Amino acid sequence: MVQAPAKPVAKLPLSKHPLADVIHRLEAGGAMIPDTPENLMKVIGMYKAYSIPMDFYWRDLLYLAERVFINPLPFFKYLPTQEYFDLHNHYAGDDADLRIWRGGATAHPELLEFIEKGENGKMPRLLHHLWHDRINMEFSESLAQSMMWHRMSGELEAYLDSPEYIANANRAIVAYLKAHPGYAPLLVLHKLFPQLFLEQCRMSTYLSILGLFWEIMAPVFFEISDRYDEGSIKTIPEAMNFLSQGIFWIAGRPIYHHVYIKGECFEIIPKSKGFMWLYEAAFPYVEAVFYRTAPFRGTKSYNAQANQVPNEQIDFHYGILFADKFPVGTAGIPPTLLHQDMYHFLPSYLKEHFAQNCRGEDDILVQLGIAFQRSMYTVTSAVLQATRGALLYPLDDPNPKHLLENRKFFEAQMDRFIRPQYGIADACRIRSVQLDSYK
Amino acid sequence: MLSLLIVLPLLGAIAIGFWPSKLSGESARLGALGLSTALLVLTAVIFSQFDLSAAGLQMSEYLPWIKTLGLNYALGIDGLSLPLIALTNFLVLIVVYSGDDGVPTTSPRLFYSLTFLVSAGITGALLAQNLLLFLIFYELELIPFYLLILIWGGKNREGAAMKFLIYTAVSGFLILAGFLALTWLSGAPSFDYAAISTAGLSTRTQLILLTLLLVGFGIKIPLVPLHSWLPDAYVEAATPVAILLGGALAKLGTYGLVRFCLGLFPQTWPIVAPGLAILATVGVLYGAMAAIAQKDIKRMVAYSSIGHMSYVLLGIAAHTSLAMVGAIGQMVSHGLILALLFYLIGVIEVKVGTRELDELNGLLNPLRGLPTTSSLLVLAGMASAGIPGLVGFISEFLVFQGSYSAFPLPTLLCVVGTGLTAVYFVILLNRTCFGRLDNKTAYYPKVTRTEQIPALVLTALVFFLGIQPTWLVRWSETTSAAIVAAVPQTAPPPIALNQTFMPAPSLKLQG
Repeated sequence: MVQAPAKPVAKLPLSKHPLADVIHRLEAGGAMIPDTPENLMKVIGMYKAYSIPMDFYWRDLLYLAERVFINPLPFFKYLPTQEYFDLHNHYAGDDADLRIWRGGATAHPELLEFIEKGENGKMPRLLHHLWHDRINMEFSESLAQSMMWHRMSGELEAYLDSPEYIANANRAIVAYLKAHPGYAPLLVLHKLFPQLFLEQCRMSTYLSILGLFWEIMAPVFFEISDRYDEGSIKTIPEAMNFLSQGIFWIAGRPIYHHVYIKGECFEIIPKSKGFMWLYEAAFPYVEAVFYRTAPFRGTKSYNAQANQVPNEQIDFHYGILFADKFPVGTAGIPPTLLHQDMYHFLPSYLKEHFAQNCRGEDDILVQLGIAFQRSMYTVTSAVLQATRGALLYPLDDPNPKHLLENRKFFEAQMDRFIRPQYGIADACRIRSVQLDSYK
Repeated sequence: MLSLLIVLPLLGAIAIGFWPSKLSGESARLGALGLSTALLVLTAVIFSQFDLSAAGLQMSEYLPWIKTLGLNYALGIDGLSLPLIALTNFLVLIVVYSGDDGVPTTSPRLFYSLTFLVSAGITGALLAQNLLLFLIFYELELIPFYLLILIWGGKNREGAAMKFLIYTAVSGFLILAGFLALTWLSGAPSFDYAAISTAGLSTRTQLILLTLLLVGFGIKIPLVPLHSWLPDAYVEAATPVAILLGGALAKLGTYGLVRFCLGLFPQTWPIVAPGLAILATVGVLYGAMAAIAQKDIKRMVAYSSIGHMSYVLLGIAAHTSLAMVGAIGQMVSHGLILALLFYLIGVIEVKVGTRELDELNGLLNPLRGLPTTSSLLVLAGMASAGIPGLVGFISEFLVFQGSYSAFPLPTLLCVVGTGLTAVYFVILLNRTCFGRLDNKTAYYPKVTRTEQIPALVLTALVFFLGIQPTWLVRWSETTSAAIVAAVPQTAPPPIALNQTFMPAPSLKLQG
């Protein structure tokens, strides 16, 4: 029997980029972090720890966008109604549009258990809330604000300034203020300052966008964790491929903003507008949250007069990929709240690993933050590979020119990490995550 | 009872050192801890029996020893030696406690044995009322200290230990020569302090003898320019040894100045006092300037010690009652603060692995740094810089208040020196504690609670004596007044002596 000749694989000379090792790994289908069992354990373990609070985040974000809306005194905004805990995820459960996770469609059982008991035992939810023994929604709100501030989306961003959106929004605003007798006098304010509530409505839209984004990511992370536990995901590239595939499966999911006032649905952004999840939620999220976010958060501050804060938003570098986790886990977002949330849901294998490293339980939030950073480098890698797949050429393309195009794309992405301006190169953790010693 | 303060550590040193059966390091430490606690309790008992109104010696013990030599076993305690004995015994407890987690993991029995020999030597010297007996104890601590530096020291310990040995031996020789000449020339029947009077000696003879003693004790303190052994010895010595060196041993020098130079030469003292005040000023400014220039934080603190001991010299030189109380208080507060600083720097060195200013950063980080240690270091720096409310302020303030009337310009320059203290501590704290930790290197082990206890206890004392200064100065007021009263006043009585400026009701100031 004659074997067919192997498909010739074109080879490029080695890259001379300062991050050549990472580029070669990406060209081989890998991620920005090395493929080691420890990295895999941390990445998947953090996906699991992140996914359960995320199951609450997306539910409450939709509650905020759809029910709280422009409420000027949203005292109970972090206490969504039971309806939202029972809300069926469109990507899990028997009635899923596309079943990504094999589990149920309503809120995750571990989440419900934590909400009931917290750290301090069973007590009314309001007391849990006031005692801060809860899932910290502040984190996710902050990310939505960051997305709004950077306004990274494409067509949707333009739509937010369109007469159609403004008309839809105003209709909903007026209906909301009329529906709440206490707020009715604010109609005058709305007349005098028409931009005031409109801006709140836009914020509410971004809450909806982020909620819809995470509605998908939560089951993706549930499933990836289950597959790791079963042993069907054994390497970082396998995990990354699952993410990339997931991104493609659900790229076309509609992004919308509905508001429910007195039982009536106001479609501020109707599904029919055709805004797609990949372009209006996933890409803007990665750019605004992983790369940029905003300074003056947490305990770290910057001196604008000393030119420490960039003039252009594109140069902002306060996201998770740049976060310095040592000073109480800061940079970009209020991450200690997120870390605290994830801490409650760490898988046992990861908890044991952290307990045996550095200062064990004492600095577990820092260790957890750094592991989370590794996992987000993996997600970013998946997005880069997905973008390369959508816009450029396969990694095993026989045409060297195509491979060169791929390389230029990867090099351009790596260039973002090593720019000397504003200390970006120093802040970026891509070199750190290459090392096991960075914990 | 006073003999117990000497005999117990001597017996303890012998017992721990020569215990016939195998004695583990932990057992030796437990024994040492028990003994040092007993010494502290004994000190507390002495405090409780101490008569605050008596100026002279108390609880005296006398035993003729070698009559032909004039050597008698004469002990006594007064307001000068009592606080220093308390300081010594307290620091010995700190040293023994910290010996476990600190440096001496090798030969712990020898370490504890030598520590108790040092304790016996210093306590004996402070209690002795006979010049030869003083000298025996004064020399007794020399060899243990040499060995402590040599065995448990840093990289350059041999050189540092040898330098210390030579300087201190010269100091002992000069003091011996001074004591012998003093006794023979004054025609005293014995070396007992009470038997010696310099009243019959010519001023020239007195000046020569006084100079011998000044240089001898000046080396021990040390005074600039006799200080060059200090930075090496302090820096190379292990943390517990450095605490004993700076906290307790150096005080023998200033004690000697008061007891022998001022106490035995009251007529000549006013002649040398202005020169000593200038020397003190030089010491304060030199110590501060040299500290500012250092890159090693332990060396920085070592130089700061030169400056702070010079305040003591200023107070003694001024020989006013107030300044004398301040000088004695400064000996104690310097001992406490220096011990705290050295202890904290020792912890940093063990955990971080360096003492270099250029490498240290961000230690206040609550999760990955050494937050408690750094916070206490900030507090110790403040205490050393004389921030009100902490013990350093009280003693320095008393010294300045007491010496201004006698030596206004040197006093003012010394006040500037305290400002410079703040400068180098701000440099130290800014670079060590603040800033950000380096992701690449900052994987330091945690400081355990047991490791924090000595620093916390020292800090508590620094705080307590800072807000309740009478507990620091009440013991020495009467004695100080008596010492000063023996010296003919060449300057008009200080204005401050007639004013009640301290909240402490027991500060009975006498001119």
